[in-house]
Amino acid sequence: MSKTVCPRCATGGALDDYQGKEGGKVVWTIHRCPTCCFSWRDSEPASAIGIGTRSADFAVDAANFDRYVKILQQ
Amino acid sequence: MMQDLAKRSRSITSLRDFLELLGDAGQAITWSERVMPEPDVRNIAVAASRDANGAPAIVFDNIAGYPGKRTAVGVHGSWDNIALLLGRPKGTTIRELFFEIAGRWGDAAAQISTVPEGQAPVHECRIESGINLYDVLPVYRINEFDGGFYLGKASVASRDPEDPDNFGKQNVGIYRLQLQGPDSFTLMTIPSHDMGKQIMAAERTGLPLKIAVMLGNHPGLAVFAATPIGYEESEYSYASAMMGAPIRLTRSGNGIDILADSEIVIEAEMQLGERVLEGPFGEFPGSYSGVRKAPIFKVTAISHRKNPIFENIYIGRGWTEHDTLIGLHTSAPIYAQLRQNFPEVTAVNALYQHGLTGIISVKNRMAGFAKTVALRALSTPHGVMYLKNLIMVDADVDPFDLNQVMWALSTRTRADDIIVLPNMPAVPIDPSAVVPGKGHRLIIDATSYLPPDPVGEAHLVTPPTGPDIDELSKKIRAMQLGAVQ
Ligand SMILES: [Zn+2]
Repeated sequence: MSKTVCPRCATGGALDDYQGKEGGKVVWTIHRCPTCCFSWRDSEPASAIGIGTRSADFAVDAANFDRYVKILQQ
Repeated sequence: MMQDLAKRSRSITSLRDFLELLGDAGQAITWSERVMPEPDVRNIAVAASRDANGAPAIVFDNIAGYPGKRTAVGVHGSWDNIALLLGRPKGTTIRELFFEIAGRWGDAAAQISTVPEGQAPVHECRIESGINLYDVLPVYRINEFDGGFYLGKASVASRDPEDPDNFGKQNVGIYRLQLQGPDSFTLMTIPSHDMGKQIMAAERTGLPLKIAVMLGNHPGLAVFAATPIGYEESEYSYASAMMGAPIRLTRSGNGIDILADSEIVIEAEMQLGERVLEGPFGEFPGSYSGVRKAPIFKVTAISHRKNPIFENIYIGRGWTEHDTLIGLHTSAPIYAQLRQNFPEVTAVNALYQHGLTGIISVKNRMAGFAKTVALRALSTPHGVMYLKNLIMVDADVDPFDLNQVMWALSTRTRADDIIVLPNMPAVPIDPSAVVPGKGHRLIIDATSYLPPDPVGEAHLVTPPTGPDIDELSKKIRAMQLGAVQ
């Protein structure tokens, strides 16, 4: 399990989905949180991806997934 | 000149053709200065959106970490670009564009041709294993707090899972897609949309639901496939008839009719019964949608042209490309439906936030008549959910010229003559609703007074209006432009 922590739900274990490269050198990495499905690029401004600097209004509560509505129920 | 433009418009078969046409008209630019995916692409797209009349399409070809890849935004981002798509010159007024679209209904038959898969440009390059969407798509975060990387301008084609051989029951619509890893994405829809119906049918019956996601498409499809037409009408046929031009189709690897000249097609299959978190996404009212559990699709193959162009859209707090993309085609059906009963209606402007505010021009048949027309507008298919604020103006007020609309509001409105209809249906995405899905409607009658209204009518100034004056104002603009050259 990776140590990368999700800036949205504060859970560890984020995956590396892609690396942007130029001339063989890694420019940025796209991570994805398997818990809350947030994807981010490590080059984004801290206001969007910084733990503690990102707006709490957009946090996802990993302990309480029932609050999120399931669309298209029969 | 005009005939050449119309002919060239009808010869467009692809995004590439249209970008070339826009470039020739000074309506497309290439951004070759190095940019970061975030926040630069968003910043530049938003800055361009400020010029609703004249913004160019922008093609980025030097995005950090995406060497050799191209992203286009703002293809439908201004009225001048929409004018060129419809075969009209730059500077065509919104009112003229409105009547261009309203006049095309029932005008021409669909012209659909089929290209063998081996000859279709979209299948030039094919990926069937080791799929990573990020290898092909130079995505970026559209709004700062979106839940991930979105495809905001994807046309999704699918067959009815219960009637897969029926061409008319294929659905083509624009849905927002959020990437969920290298080979998966979620799709957001509601039960009343065609895709929502198909997803629910597939899950009810256990039948597979395969889709083809088209990116970088014929520019007519995005304008005309976003329209709510009957379930059994083909969006391809409709778009072809409205463009007055042929549309070339081919088959995707998973058996769906797709545009032969699109830049990229992603083939995918829904994971029946599965849901994962989707959102937020900055939507057209200028607010974020919530986080919900949405159906997830697994990618089975990708086809793309050589050196493909990834087309995306900026959508958020208006004015944005979304408003120019869908505005006229939101307005024109309401106009046509009102005219069936009320020929006194002369134009409908539902450009603002997909019609959350609408302005209707009408010649009063009798005192209070404009209010009757407003109530009819609320019962049109789009009005049922969207037309929240209606401003009724006289027939000689151009509803697309907000200076004229403000004149009507300033001089015609009496505060005790507005109507509030409480607790009506509302589009759930409207952030002003007290409860999502339910809200109040407002009708402002800013038309002239008529007997037996007891208030005497002022003698109005009638300035010269009409096509002669329109031509004069264009001539003045042209002389002005000539003077600086
Ligand atoms: Zn997370």
